[in-house]
Amino acid sequence: MIRRLLQVDFMKMKRKGFWFLTFLGPFGVVALQMVNYGLRKDYLLQQSEDNWGHYLGNITVFTPLALVLGIVILTSFIASVENETNAWKQLLALPVSKLSVYLSKFTVLAGLLFVSSILLAVFTLSFGIFLNLGEQIPWIELLKDSFYPFFAGLPVLALHLWIATVSTNQGIPITVGVLGTILTYSSYVLPDWVIWKWPSLNNGWNEPVINVWLGIGIGLLLYIGGMLDFARRDVK
Amino acid sequence: MNYMVETKGLSKRFGNETAVKNLELKIPKGEVYGFLGPNGAGKTTTIRMLLGLMKPTSGSIHIFNQDLTKEKISILKKVGSLVENPSYYPHLTAYENLEALRKILGVPKKRIYEVLETVRLTDVAHKKVKGYSLGMKQRLVIAASLLNEPQLLILDEPTNGLDPSGIIEIRDLIKRLPSEYGMTVLISSHLLSEIDQIATSVGIISRGKMIFQDTIETMREHAQIKISLKSSNSHRAYQSLLTKGKQVDYKDGLIYLDDQSDEDVAEVVNSLVHDGFSIYRVEEEKRSLEDIFLQMTSKEDVK
Ligand SMILES: Nc1ncnc2c1ncn2[C@@H]1O[C@H](COP(=O)(O)OP(=O)(O)OP(=O)(O)O)[C@@H](O)[C@H]1O
Ligand SMILES: [Mg+2]
Repeated sequence: MIRRLLQVDFMKMKRKGFWFLTFLGPFGVVALQMVNYGLRKDYLLQQSEDNWGHYLGNITVFTPLALVLGIVILTSFIASVENETNAWKQLLALPVSKLSVYLSKFTVLAGLLFVSSILLAVFTLSFGIFLNLGEQIPWIELLKDSFYPFFAGLPVLALHLWIATVSTNQGIPITVGVLGTILTYSSYVLPDWVIWKWPSLNNGWNEPVINVWLGIGIGLLLYIGGMLDFARRDVK
Repeated sequence: MNYMVETKGLSKRFGNETAVKNLELKIPKGEVYGFLGPNGAGKTTTIRMLLGLMKPTSGSIHIFNQDLTKEKISILKKVGSLVENPSYYPHLTAYENLEALRKILGVPKKRIYEVLETVRLTDVAHKKVKGYSLGMKQRLVIAASLLNEPQLLILDEPTNGLDPSGIIEIRDLIKRLPSEYGMTVLISSHLLSEIDQIATSVGIISRGKMIFQDTIETMREHAQIKISLKSSNSHRAYQSLLTKGKQVDYKDGLIYLDDQSDEDVAEVVNSLVHDGFSIYRVEEEKRSLEDIFLQMTSKEDVK
């Protein structure tokens, strides 16, 4: 059943710009560095011995913001597909469990964001090579910078999916989205427990991988909570 | 008796307001059951509970003699439905809309073409639903409800937004379903006239309570038309009829006849004319749904 639901969810994404956004996020992050390096490449290359490291550092400044924005926009898109003519009542009067409907939505979103992460790695690598940053490509760092934020951002995704699917007032997800984006932007001043800080991979221990495990653990908890609440409620 | 749908003490409360109270819905197999009630009576709320979209505050629902809370998915496999305003994906074509439902229902692709044909949307099947007229959208969701060849079809005000010819078309379709496909149909409406033409059983709900549930014939007896008569000196005319032992009522300057066969009416008119009253009007008054509700609720009170 879940496979069929996934196929249907991908079908409903047609002509809605989901794939374009999935591409736009990572492209935007790298494009900012294209501008940056395009304008002052010589200066930037003087900044550090480790040109790749410096370049990756520049990329990661914008990754969390793009990720959270992507989460906000994609979840609101996916909810709007069902909300537009209140198709929830039609969908959930079919012989499907609400849990699998919710799981399918979450899987689609996580899938799109994962594709974004892959694209981010590809774009980062390609432009890095184009810039001629050196023979020694820091593969591990590159992959960490591309995929760690995704896992660290899972709690935000789970929270947003829940808010977008259960709120009858569409202003609420938008408000939370705007607040989340601001929190992500100012993550360096936030305490470690704020989930919007996690995609920045910063924490008191200087151990980015902690954010990954926290993201997966808390993300799972928030996902389960959201799913159970969605199933418990009367359909809109 | 075995019912396709049977609810016991079904109730739904929203905050302080009880939208559905102790509903005992009984729908026999093969019937077109007209679920009738004014706006806000609780029809949609009941239907949502039947489809598992809302949890009852109390009471039980059995469909195909299975408990809905325990066997929701196996029940819903054999149910087709349409709830309130049409739901669809406007950025997809009619075909894609139906395909999205078909995949989940797991029925063969040919059903899509069949139901499109049934509601006459084959020609526009590959156009985006966004551009459809309201009537076409309504026909699309009716097609969607038929995809899985349901044994029970639940339609909440299915003729909303259709023009007269569309209404007749859908009405004819619904009428055919029980005999041709062995379906049982629950159709809600706030128009008695609409239910009257297709239903074989009727349930009337008012302020969340079932106030009448029986065959359409029994309801027709309740819904008898009235003959009103206006004459010179109406009140005296009324008294003269009473003295002659006629069954009549008097209200607001009009005389109402209880017996309504042509002969009875002729006799009353005759006797009034004979007594020198002038007859201005003899009218047949169809009672509105609201009147019938009032009549029925007042009867309930007497019991
Ligand atoms: N989700 C809800 N929250 C609060 N109250 C509700 C909700 N849904 C319905 N109601 C209330 O329940 C009552 C019955 O509504 P319902 O939609 O079932 O009526 P209806 O018979 O379908 O009317 P209509 O002919 O207008 O469609 C109304 O008073 C309505 O305000
Ligand atoms: Mg209604």
